[in-house]
Amino acid sequence: MAYPALSEKPDTVPASATTPPVVALDHITRTFGPTTANDDVSLAVPPGAVIGLIGANGAGKSTLMRVLCGVTEPDSGTLTLGGTPVAFPDWSPTEARRRGIRIVFQELSLCVNLTVAENFYLEDPSAAAGTPWGSPLWRGRYRKLARAGIDAVFPDSGIDVDARLSDLALGQRQMVEIARAARDPNLRLLILDEPTSSLDAGRAAQLQDFVRRSTAKGIAFIFISHKLREVLEIASRVVVMRNGRVTREGGADAFTVHALVELMGGEAGRTAATSSQTEAGREILRITGPVTAPLGHDITLHAGDIVGFAGLEGSGQRTQLHRIRLDNPDAGFVSGDRQREGVFPQWTVLSNISIGALSRRPLASIVSTEAETETGRHWAERLRLDPGRLSSNVLHLSGGNQQKALVARALARQSDILLLDDPTRGVDVASKHDFYRVVRQTAEAGAVVVWYSTEDIELLECTRVLVFHKGAIVRELVGAEISEESIVDTAFLHEKTGHEKTSATPTPAAPAAPPRSPHRAADRLTSVIPLISLAAVCAALATLNPASASLFGIDLLLSSAVPLVLIALAQMFVVGGSQIDLGIGAFAGLVNVVGATVLTDQPALGVVLLAAGIGGYAIIGALIERRRIPAIVVTLGASFIWLGCGYTLQSAPGGMAPDWLMAAVAWQIPGLPTSLLLILAAGVCGLLVDRSRLGVVLRGFGNNAAALSQGGWSALRHTMLRYVIAGVFAMMAGLALTAITTASDINAGSGFTLLSIAAVVIGGCHLLGGTISAPGVVAGAVTLSLIGSLLSFLGVSTDYNAAVQGLLLVAILGLRTLLERRESAE
Amino acid sequence: MTAVPNTHRSTGQSSFLHWVETRRWIWSLIGIAVLWLVLGALTSRLSLQSMSGVVSSAAFLLFPALGQMIVVTTGRGNIDLSIPSVITLTAFLSVNIIDGSNALLPVGILAVTAVGLAVGAVNAALVLWLRIPAMIATLATGYVLATGTLLANRSFSTYQVSPALAWFATGRVAGVPVIVLAALAATLLCAFVLRRTVFGRALSAVGQNQRAAELAGLPAARIVAIAFLTSGAAAGLTGALLAARAGGAFLDMGSPFLLQSVGAVVLGGTLIFGGSATALGTLFGSVLLVLIVTTMQIAGLPGGTQEIIQGGVIIAVLALAGAAGKPGRR
Repeated sequence: MAYPALSEKPDTVPASATTPPVVALDHITRTFGPTTANDDVSLAVPPGAVIGLIGANGAGKSTLMRVLCGVTEPDSGTLTLGGTPVAFPDWSPTEARRRGIRIVFQELSLCVNLTVAENFYLEDPSAAAGTPWGSPLWRGRYRKLARAGIDAVFPDSGIDVDARLSDLALGQRQMVEIARAARDPNLRLLILDEPTSSLDAGRAAQLQDFVRRSTAKGIAFIFISHKLREVLEIASRVVVMRNGRVTREGGADAFTVHALVELMGGEAGRTAATSSQTEAGREILRITGPVTAPLGHDITLHAGDIVGFAGLEGSGQRTQLHRIRLDNPDAGFVSGDRQREGVFPQWTVLSNISIGALSRRPLASIVSTEAETETGRHWAERLRLDPGRLSSNVLHLSGGNQQKALVARALARQSDILLLDDPTRGVDVASKHDFYRVVRQTAEAGAVVVWYSTEDIELLECTRVLVFHKGAIVRELVGAEISEESIVDTAFLHEKTGHEKTSATPTPAAPAAPPRSPHRAADRLTSVIPLISLAAVCAALATLNPASASLFGIDLLLSSAVPLVLIALAQMFVVGGSQIDLGIGAFAGLVNVVGATVLTDQPALGVVLLAAGIGGYAIIGALIERRRIPAIVVTLGASFIWLGCGYTLQSAPGGMAPDWLMAAVAWQIPGLPTSLLLILAAGVCGLLVDRSRLGVVLRGFGNNAAALSQGGWSALRHTMLRYVIAGVFAMMAGLALTAITTASDINAGSGFTLLSIAAVVIGGCHLLGGTISAPGVVAGAVTLSLIGSLLSFLGVSTDYNAAVQGLLLVAILGLRTLLERRESAE
Repeated sequence: MTAVPNTHRSTGQSSFLHWVETRRWIWSLIGIAVLWLVLGALTSRLSLQSMSGVVSSAAFLLFPALGQMIVVTTGRGNIDLSIPSVITLTAFLSVNIIDGSNALLPVGILAVTAVGLAVGAVNAALVLWLRIPAMIATLATGYVLATGTLLANRSFSTYQVSPALAWFATGRVAGVPVIVLAALAATLLCAFVLRRTVFGRALSAVGQNQRAAELAGLPAARIVAIAFLTSGAAAGLTGALLAARAGGAFLDMGSPFLLQSVGAVVLGGTLIFGGSATALGTLFGSVLLVLIVTTMQIAGLPGGTQEIIQGGVIIAVLALAGAAGKPGRR
């Protein structure tokens, strides 16, 4: 194989001897189990350089970048920052960030439930310093900051900094992500991983301009992209990686796109699997429909075929694989994502294997230990897995052996279809070869193997390779046509010329960019439901009983809604963290009792008790976060503690509210119903907390906790704060109960638990966390409270209240699911 | 070798610790022994007789707890909060339908089972089809049932108990309460199903990793549905038995079973995250929980304190068991 001669002329931005590189990695080796992801890699980034880092899938680029950013610690090697060595144990994402090294990941690290400006706040809260708590001043600053940050990279982007990320198109989100990292005043090195994958040509050009302007200021870039032409345009230096090593490095003008493709593919590997390519067996599978449109014909797969799915990652290979699985439920399936889609972590290796055979039997049949052991032993031997390990826990095996167990599980299904989803991820070479052998044997025994791999070299094991591009199969390689070059070539040339090609094809079956906003209509409906239902209930009440529309009527009807509004707001903050508090009603009941007994007799002690209750909520938050126990069970247990405390203080309803507390709700502004004002005040409090800086962080945690933790926010502290806020609102609810009823009953609060959840749901909050709305929750709580009155006006027994509340809750949640399902099906 | 749950880090552990780790019910058994001694010291009447009262109370808790255990084992935070409402409702129904006659007993038993299964089916549909989190779905069905109970409470009142059912709930065979024998049989059956049938394996697989279970070809949705159906039916039968023991039905009859069914499961060593269930543990957990309550009553603790301690014990056990057995996030 002839490589293009390397140019001898210096890089466009020479690293002079006087200016040390921004960052240098030397002799980095990192293995994952038996796989060597980085093998003695060195990389120096001079100030103002743009390094184009390229390589085929699985070449080790991502590992190298994770080492550089402090996410992954290497086994050996050194790191030098501006000429000074840094020890890897001290190197962390936070430290990298502090030293001006930033990365824009391919997977977005934004909170999509927050606005653009709020995401800029999470990135760097320091600019909010000095604005008083609760004032919206900080928002103005971050609006300006976000606008300036985006304009600096993408002028005239048209991105509204007050828009929620979920309402932006994917390309716009990517722009925000880039701009957010790029605005760091401390920036020394910015790593862009596939930054233009969702950007159009114009925006990509703006990014190139920005990169050029920044390099003039000495900022360095690492640019990772599959768009090779773009890499050659922007980079001053190109580094080519393959199989965990740097295979070629040089000035960008020394390379051409074709030369790069060749370098990434390297020398021709072994020729395609020669053995099994004989006459076609019986037809087992047929791939048809829009996915084969660019080919113009269906693809039939026969017994004995090993079919590789190739192409750039995320081109629709995995979707097609799962489509085949759903159409053939008996097929064996092996995923390379062992932790999430493979192992049963509590089980032995044997149980992990035998479940494959058991799953084809009726649920009521009896498991025979002997037969099970026999099955396990048989398949373990086929895969050269030590039968002595069958009784160990599966997690005690190496990655390669775990994967063998999972392959054994799939083979134990004895189906004539074997589906492989990147099965050799992180598997050692020896296991890989055992695995290839088993795949060949399986095919020879009359099965069809469909194999999606992110490592192009593996596809040489196949008898047939289908190359995917943008969700469709663009090329079918058979037998001798299969080589690493032909695969890389097809995938990358399509990427290069993608636009012309797809527009030339008659009907490109492009499941192209995801829809602009996934749950648009459902969202809109969700936000108006509380208002519509409130209006409907009010109208019905006024019609049935005109007196209820009077000042006194409104005041009376709404007075019972005040505690519910407060409890619902408390529940709202818990739901914002995708948890539920089953003890919130009982806690309000306890506060109700304390308020009418101890607080009246010994005010100081009463205050201490209430503070202890809030402390209890902080402990609940800490337990949930630290011990990772489900919130429902903890809060269910806590509800009995609250109830028990209440009974101990006061065994039968009674007590007397303190005068000051009654006075707090007994005032009157002429012409305005007091309880309406109280409800509005509660709503404003909820809104203020939610809109505050803390509220933004809490919502961020509800949406993308991992990104926030990596950004340096403490999950423990914020879970505790979340529960303290909930506790304070529930406490206000309990005091309101005391003030309004002027007495106490420990059971008074219990009924509020379900109602609070219902109010939160009606109010448009998402139970999965992150999306909450104080006005919606207030409207939902008032509606629920008024429904009780409405039912009594209608002459319906109060016995039906609980049923109506329960049905309403289920109906709204169910409706929302159905709507979302319909939309995602479209 | 069976699907005995295995520890993650046994390599450096002594075999004794490993043995305990794979048999988490041991802790509840130790708890029972300790409390029994305390109880004996308090009353100075340490007898099998005093124990048999505790054990037969525990038997009534065991049935719904086994149902709860199966639901919890399906993982993903699944839990059945409709159990207390089902118990109260079926207690009323059984009293009303059977009306003290042995002849109507089969009809009554069929009816309560059907109600339990129907509630389980609704719960399963809400969770699987409408994708409502189990705790909210079952809480909501519980509320709807509560209305049903209120109506049932108004429409009739009879205090007749079928003699056959009364014998089953309170009678004795060779000095052993019949209900205790039934509880032992149920535990054995449940243990057999969990350890020796494909369903037991599939249940554990779904609870450990639902995605992996689906990819391995297991009918995950069907298994979750069966779990809710079982729990509903168990609660339905418990309602009839409780009514037979109490000689009638009353509102709030099922309320203690909300926390106690979860408590017995957790104390027994079943993982709250799913994937690992132990029927024997749930039996011991039920006995332990009833023993705790009895000890508190004998010690003369007021009702409020008893509830505080029950809640505290469950949170403490969870916090101690904590992250064990569950890799990754909630």
